[in-house]
Amino acid sequence: MAASLTGLLKPWTPRVLLVRWSRYNPYYLEPEPRKEVYHIPETELTPEQKEERELKSVRPIKAATNSVTSSVFNDPVLSKFVNMMMKDGDKIIAKGIITQTLENMKRKQVEKYHKAPEGKKAETECNPYAIFHQALENCKPVIGLASIQKGGKFYQVPIPLTDDRRRFLAMKWMITECRDNKHRRTLMYEKLSQELLAAFSKEGNVVKRKHELHKMAESNRAYAHYRWW
Amino acid sequence: AVLRRTSQVRPLHGSGCGQQQEAIGMETRPETFSIFRTQENDPACQSEQHLGQYYTVPPSHFHTVFPHGLPPRYQQQVKTFNEGCVMVRQPALELISHLKRADYSKPTLRYLLYGVKGSGKTMSLCHTVHYCSTQGWLVLHIPDAHLWVKNCKELLPSSYHASRFDQPIQASNWLRNFRTTNEHFLSKIKLRQRYVWTKRESTEEGRPLGELVDMGVSRVKSSSDVVGAVLKELRLQAGGTEGGFRLAVAVDGVNGLWGRTTLKKEDKSPVAPEELTLVHNLRKMINNDWCGGAVIATLSQTGSLYAPSSAYLPQELLGEEGFDSMDPFVPVPVSLYSEKEFESCYLYYLDHIHFHHWLQHPHSQTEEGKKELIFLSNRNPSVLERLCAFL
Repeated sequence: MAASLTGLLKPWTPRVLLVRWSRYNPYYLEPEPRKEVYHIPETELTPEQKEERELKSVRPIKAATNSVTSSVFNDPVLSKFVNMMMKDGDKIIAKGIITQTLENMKRKQVEKYHKAPEGKKAETECNPYAIFHQALENCKPVIGLASIQKGGKFYQVPIPLTDDRRRFLAMKWMITECRDNKHRRTLMYEKLSQELLAAFSKEGNVVKRKHELHKMAESNRAYAHYRWW
Repeated sequence: AVLRRTSQVRPLHGSGCGQQQEAIGMETRPETFSIFRTQENDPACQSEQHLGQYYTVPPSHFHTVFPHGLPPRYQQQVKTFNEGCVMVRQPALELISHLKRADYSKPTLRYLLYGVKGSGKTMSLCHTVHYCSTQGWLVLHIPDAHLWVKNCKELLPSSYHASRFDQPIQASNWLRNFRTTNEHFLSKIKLRQRYVWTKRESTEEGRPLGELVDMGVSRVKSSSDVVGAVLKELRLQAGGTEGGFRLAVAVDGVNGLWGRTTLKKEDKSPVAPEELTLVHNLRKMINNDWCGGAVIATLSQTGSLYAPSSAYLPQELLGEEGFDSMDPFVPVPVSLYSEKEFESCYLYYLDHIHFHHWLQHPHSQTEEGKKELIFLSNRNPSVLERLCAFL
């Protein structure tokens, strides 16, 4: 919506200088944190990129949030996961738990690698980021259920899910599973690493929950026509 | 699985760098250092040409020389990599050269390793301890003096001296580790004095030291006094000409011996360090009134009590009393990694000949990733280790 309105916006300067608000006038442009964009020499810019650069010299730009980095190790999925784990705005603790989880997973896999026979060594995945992404993929449901009212009763109707929703559900299930269903005395990074490694090999409670959702959707196939979108 | 094993994004200098003989490595690329391991596993034979390279502590030695004393994160790393590799660095080499050339008929020299947090003081101490061990010295390694002045569950009043306190658990643990390190000395050294423990128990003159240590481990109540007796005997016999051995006293976190403790007596008044038997005896050991050995100490802010976190100089951490007791000492500063050492550490973590490389993130193997690691860690060894652990 903001994109279509940009042509119609009048030139506007704020009376009070805005710093780091979350609601901005659509006149403001998004910040660009990636380094590669700024390294392209003048000659190789496409016309759109040239136009964008000229626009940036005139328009104000939104302030970048704290979680945005130009680091090569920046991973948007991992940042989202950290935000979901965070309680009371304490990102330091959440990020610390995630880094400990990654380290723990790497150590377990490296030990498995050393114990594995020669043929199996190449198969053990030691990259914690690859394991994390694959585990999350294995936990994402393909189809979801929505509660739709028809004739006074509520029916669980199978509906397609957007990518964002699927990713959110996978992360949410992972976190609640680790928080609720594990032994009280184990630390969070230990619980998370066990669950992620299990999900990587398609075992564990989160993958089971995904399968149960799929089964419910399959059993409620008859109500699929109640969906009108 | 797609991310691993892509063609190396960063060009490795030299062909197949990694485990190479020094001579060959020097010829192929004299200007860039692509070798980071050395075959020279004996600390006595290491010299300036091995600076920045990793040598492996032989696995047979590992549990005898280092039952305690290694930093906990390093112990985890050894367990994961199945090998213990130590980098040869300038402070350790300097210490070893001092130890080689010192005159052992004169009173003991005291060496103090100091530096910012995480710069490698404990690892340099362990390197020196390995050297002393291979040379056949008797090593008295106290892993952390701060453990003796805090978090003590049982504080018994000493039977030997009325106003002092005993710490049975810490003392017996230390004796057990001491026994593991110095097995071969225990039968050779004979006691020169008779020690009476209770009305019915005593250890006669001429008995081997091993018996005393075993008694200390089994009878936990008198273990602190046993520690005191052991230290006294070793001090007396270290410089002896017949059957003489060299004694190395390696203390980590020596600033804990002077300062305050967090322990309290039963009437809630604080315990001063002098009132602890273990600390009292250790201080006598650190005095330079005996000969035939060396005292190597490390300052440590990490476990210290009531010291600000930015303090790392000897004057700040030892306090007046400690500095006066340690004075005169040979200060050995331990700095952060130089460029060559950082390069070597980075290549060690990237090594995939000995183990599946530790740095798994695909971007960490590129040039920008390396620059970012330098920026984030400021070449601090412990910070770099923690960063590489999860990358």
